[in-house]
Amino acid sequence: MKTLHSHLEDHFEELELVIGWEIGFEPLRATPAFVRRREDLARLVWNPLCAPNLSVYLPQILKSAEKTEKKVAVCLKGCDTRSLTALIQEGFVDRERLHVIGLPCPGTVDPQALAQARKNRAPVTQVSFQDNLLILHSYEGTEEIPLDSVLARRCRRCRQPNPLLADVVLGDPVPARCDAPSFAHVEAVDSLPLEERRAYWERELDRCLRCYACRNACPLCVCRDRCLAESRTPKWTTQRDSVRDKFLFHMIHALHLAGRCTECGECERVCPVGIPVALFKEKMAQIALDLWDYQAGVDPAATPPLQTFDPSETGI
Amino acid sequence: MEKAVFLPDTELHEALAALSADAQVWVPAGDASKPDLVRFQRYRPGLSVRLDARSLVSAKEVLFPRSEALLRFVKEKDLSVPAGHRLHVDDTRTVPPAVVFGCRPCDARGFLTFDRVFLQGPYRDPYYAERREKTTFVSLVCRDADGACFCSAVGSGPADPQGSDAQLIALPDGYVLRAITQRGAALVEKIGRGPTAEQIQAARDMLDQAGREMVGEGSLTAMDAAFRARFQDAAFWHGHIDKCLSCGLCTFVCPTCYCFTITDEARGLSGERIRSWDACMFPHFTLEASGHNPRPSKVERYRNRVGHKFSYFVSKYGQVACCGCGRCIRHCPVSVDIRAVVRDLPVQEEVHA
Repeated sequence: MKTLHSHLEDHFEELELVIGWEIGFEPLRATPAFVRRREDLARLVWNPLCAPNLSVYLPQILKSAEKTEKKVAVCLKGCDTRSLTALIQEGFVDRERLHVIGLPCPGTVDPQALAQARKNRAPVTQVSFQDNLLILHSYEGTEEIPLDSVLARRCRRCRQPNPLLADVVLGDPVPARCDAPSFAHVEAVDSLPLEERRAYWERELDRCLRCYACRNACPLCVCRDRCLAESRTPKWTTQRDSVRDKFLFHMIHALHLAGRCTECGECERVCPVGIPVALFKEKMAQIALDLWDYQAGVDPAATPPLQTFDPSETGI
Repeated sequence: MEKAVFLPDTELHEALAALSADAQVWVPAGDASKPDLVRFQRYRPGLSVRLDARSLVSAKEVLFPRSEALLRFVKEKDLSVPAGHRLHVDDTRTVPPAVVFGCRPCDARGFLTFDRVFLQGPYRDPYYAERREKTTFVSLVCRDADGACFCSAVGSGPADPQGSDAQLIALPDGYVLRAITQRGAALVEKIGRGPTAEQIQAARDMLDQAGREMVGEGSLTAMDAAFRARFQDAAFWHGHIDKCLSCGLCTFVCPTCYCFTITDEARGLSGERIRSWDACMFPHFTLEASGHNPRPSKVERYRNRVGHKFSYFVSKYGQVACCGCGRCIRHCPVSVDIRAVVRDLPVQEEVHA
């Protein structure tokens, strides 16, 4: 952590704002932090609890911030840099105005899995990290939990733990958990017979509250206040609490991310009722790979397939 | 304890089945494939009832469904009338009696906010009123507050009887069920068995202990003036709210957020007028027909959420519109902490980044 602090201390004069993470209302919560004063840099942390993908804030922040010589610094994990790349490709973020701090990522914690893995029930008072271990302190004692056993689903299929785009990379490279794109999770659902698959999704989507956390946490959901899910004219979905309407919204969300989703898994992380909504987008990513041999946000020099037109294109 | 019974763990399902004979019974229950995903569900045999777990979403939907048909309509073509059709409207409804069994005191107390608006305000809402009259709330005295809970800071507490018709007090091998209201007494008569003196004593002890426990720091009930003084302080609101994603999660999991929208959902010549949950965090909530939006960004929207709960509602009804359940904090994708925002309202020095 010293490196992040000392790096920011050294460069603070060049920066207008630093977007990173700090400890939230309890030790196991890391929450986004917007630091504008040097003395607040000490609040910043970087560890496997830093789940939020901070690239989601960039289009809005850069739009509202006055253009100055100073840059906006943002801390991004490996997968988060893919989102940034896609945002740059689509023209939503001006690369020149950013100071990107890339952080090789050992994986992030799934809070639900961590709660299940704990033997103690007392609130955690302190947490530290050592050699792929989470060390949790509470008044019941200390317990050690291997990070690998409590990883978020997105991290178990991670192949880009190291930043692909950064002004500075802090920390040693981390070995990827997967060498090639892994679609085992979506394939498991996809392989169900039609009726079972339908029943699976009806059961999952029935819980959806339509709170749109999945949409708002998505860095590539760039329509923001103009989303058709809430459009009244024309009106695409009804206000009914029906699986039919919820399914329609999630299908629209997924289709709008075809060839664009960078598989950061934020949509699924933020769902308050545990719907595996990232599977829809993983299906899109799988199709994009099959159809165009394209992975969103991996190559800054590439042109996203749906932003170009090639009459000689085969396969469609 | 005037009217109390003992309900052994082994007879819980039997009791819920008995109550189900003449009411819809809602219990916190895990999903079949995800036992820790606890929501209020209609009781049915085999359901994985989880009185030990806090539910993710509040029991709000029992009295205030996510969407409900206010009326159904059919247009009948008739060229002899100027409109070209005759409109047939059907607003009949059947509301069965219901029991919410094993919610936490905060869930039951949340409806006191609803009552102010839907029953005691200038308009009495017949849809809410009928459900309210027919629903019995049985809350479980809460022994497992977590880091997001703050019921004591809004004038409630883990043993708060307000809003509950009966209370469950957990003992090692079952529950003492104690009536608070007449409606609760009617329910208590239907289930359980006579408690022993030891069980009554153990329940009393636990009630006392829970009643003394403070969950959450300080008090957030007298922030009306501080909020008004902070209203224009853009730096304050940005400091707290820059990280907000502006989704509607906090309002939808909240037991006291009661905002709704009304839409006509028609297909062909027939349809329904439905009322559904809406959220002040959404841009359309305040979008005016002219295109102007008085709350154009998340800063104004979140400020409204704080103001509604801790200022406007207080000056209108004399109570905060928050029951301290902590769901908006616990489930927020970026851990926005409304307690911290409200606590900082009167703080004079610059506490924000």
